Amino acid sequence: MAESLPPTRPRIPGSGLAKGLAVTLRTMTKKTVTAQYPDAQPDLPPRTRGVIGLFEENCTVCMLCARECPDWCIYIDSHKETVPPAAPGGRERSRNVLDRFAIDFSLCMYCGICIEVCPFDALFWSPEFEYAETDIRDLTHERDKLREWMWTVPAPPALDPAAEEPKEVAAARKTAEKLAAQQEAAAPQPAQPTEPAEPAGTEPHAAEQARAAERPTRPMGESKQQTDLPQQQTDLPPQEGQE
Amino acid sequence: MNDVLDVALRLLIVFGVFLTFPLIIGQTEHKVMAHMQGRLGPMYAGGFHGWAQLVADGVKFAQKEDVVPAGADRRIFQLAPAVALLPYLLVLLAIPIGPGEGAVGVLIDAGIFFVLAVMGVGVLGSLMAGWASANKFSLLGGLRTAAQLLAYELPMLLAAASVAMAAGTVSLPGILNAFEWWWLPWQIVGAIVFFVAGLAELQRPPFDMPVADSEIIFGAYTEYTGLRFALFLLAEYAGIVVLCGLTTVLFLGGWHGPWGADGLGWVWTLLKTAVLAFIVIWLRVTYPRLREDQLQKLSWTLLVPLSLAQIALTGIVKVVIQ
Amino acid sequence: MTLAAAATAVATDATSMAAESPGFLSPTGVEIAFLLVGVVTFGAAIVTVTTRQLVHAALWLVVTLGGLAVEYLLLTAEFIAWVQVLIYVGSVVVLLLFGLMLTKAPIGRSPDADSGNRWAALTVAVATAAALVWVVVDAFRTTWIDLDGAPAGSTEVTGKALFQNWVLPFEALSVLLLAALVGAIVLSRKAKADATATTASVPGSRSDKGGAR
Repeated sequence: MAESLPPTRPRIPGSGLAKGLAVTLRTMTKKTVTAQYPDAQPDLPPRTRGVIGLFEENCTVCMLCARECPDWCIYIDSHKETVPPAAPGGRERSRNVLDRFAIDFSLCMYCGICIEVCPFDALFWSPEFEYAETDIRDLTHERDKLREWMWTVPAPPALDPAAEEPKEVAAARKTAEKLAAQQEAAAPQPAQPTEPAEPAGTEPHAAEQARAAERPTRPMGESKQQTDLPQQQTDLPPQEGQE
Repeated sequence: MNDVLDVALRLLIVFGVFLTFPLIIGQTEHKVMAHMQGRLGPMYAGGFHGWAQLVADGVKFAQKEDVVPAGADRRIFQLAPAVALLPYLLVLLAIPIGPGEGAVGVLIDAGIFFVLAVMGVGVLGSLMAGWASANKFSLLGGLRTAAQLLAYELPMLLAAASVAMAAGTVSLPGILNAFEWWWLPWQIVGAIVFFVAGLAELQRPPFDMPVADSEIIFGAYTEYTGLRFALFLLAEYAGIVVLCGLTTVLFLGGWHGPWGADGLGWVWTLLKTAVLAFIVIWLRVTYPRLREDQLQKLSWTLLVPLSLAQIALTGIVKVVIQ
Repeated sequence: MTLAAAATAVATDATSMAAESPGFLSPTGVEIAFLLVGVVTFGAAIVTVTTRQLVHAALWLVVTLGGLAVEYLLLTAEFIAWVQVLIYVGSVVVLLLFGLMLTKAPIGRSPDADSGNRWAALTVAVATAAALVWVVVDAFRTTWIDLDGAPAGSTEVTGKALFQNWVLPFEALSVLLLAALVGAIVLSRKAKADATATTASVPGSRSDKGGAR
């Protein structure tokens, strides 16, 4: 076998042994890689799959997450409530009210399918990981705990500078522009700049709802009126970036 | 009365060394091994960089239940750790750390023979443990221990004999009194053979086939718990102290150094011993475990011929000098 | 100061008196120790041959050989004592235990530990012991070791005696051991040749090991 190798230099017997010794000695002089965890918190990447947070204001109890969960570790209870008609003489609407949302983290395998399938952006990954319990039954966390974890969800990363405008932002901007045109057309009437989004599509509406609820996690200065969205859209975290 | 006090003091000092040095080496091993593997090692026990880790380990061992297996040979099982540990204490008595009669526990005329003989007895503890545990893995460990001892005792003796020839005496202080610096290159082969064979006799990695925890689950010590197990571990580290001390005395010139041989000779001895202990740890971290046949082959086909060649060389040089 | 001398240092006065007028009636400390160790050694030897547990027999043999080493020490034959420990306790007993472990050495009594010809063995043992005792007593009847003078059994003295007065027996013994060694090698090589000849499929791994040893 030695003949097949290219003839570099004659092998000194024991050179391999010496090389091994050199490796360990060199490693000893280098900095260690040990993370002193309880003393120093780990520097986790923002997309870390630590725990699943529930943004329950967004949840419509559609049960998609519970049904898609491979481990059947999501428990959802709800009841139906009747909402009185918005206008007199209108039809009553019914909506689902969430009673219980629990995830059994002793079963959860952190696949993230529930977060993928949630159509209303009610589930998020949080990098929080220190929720070990001494009893396995305590690992079933209820909606209040899941809601708390929502505060630890980091803001989604900014888009690339040249990226396409997020869909909901585009929709909101279109609406705002249309409204502005209407107001220009009806110039004598007093403008209503603070209530422009009502007739917009459902998508910007949901996004705005989420943003409004998430506001405490961000500096107050960053919270924005919808009217100035178009101007500062690059600052805005797009909801699609959550995954 | 003064003699009695003197003897008592010496015994006390040797006993203190026996209790502390193995722990120091063990702690050094923890830290050095960790850093060689890019880790930190113990950091909590005692506050500063885990200096009290082995003390904590000792407390833990003392708290554990002392289990004797139902099928075991009770008395031999319980006696084995003492048989493994005590010889090293005795050997420590004979190692001189400085010039003069004051720097050795007991002056023994046939020092080399005493030391090697008593070290050989220590292995008997492992054999007893291996047989008395009533466990197949322990028995295998005992067998491997015996085979290893038989293989490596010979080159160790031959290498020591070479030094004895060079010095013209078998007393350890006598050898050191005759030491000259050029013995170092002259006896270097013997030194390596002695050190390697000693490592094998201590069953230190890479010669730890008899305890190979990944295949025979710590061999002869499989069934041991608590303090008895701790005694076996202590025996291993005391063995390192003894081996490094002996190699220092026999081959590296003990208290001789470039300067300060009169007052600070013992510092040289301790320094050389510490460096050798570091090498023991270094070798453990670096090399994987030798297979059983490789172990036997290394001894019979490499170490024994090398030590014989060393003896021949010693003889030739000795005759030429005279 | 040797170990033996250290042991005797406590009873220096008594020893010196005994050295001047040796006799059985006023035993010195060393003599008493010698006798006690002798009794222990003898007892261990008896247990070695009478116990039904094979490994225990080997371990009692360690005690016996160790006791003998102590006796040598008390006779100031320090070199012989350590060689005794080195060779017999360190190697021979280990070899013995190795053999016992390789074959069957059960924990507890071995049913086949007893032999039918125990009386013949006893006769031979007693005869050998009697012969040895007679020869030794006859040879050293009036010899007393002076414990205070230069040690009579130190390495230097032993070496000089061995290589000046007894060099011929020493060389004869060496030749005998060499013959044994060569014989062992020849035997193992023959076995290897046989093994390869008979079983070509199994290339004599066993005899390989035997050869290595």
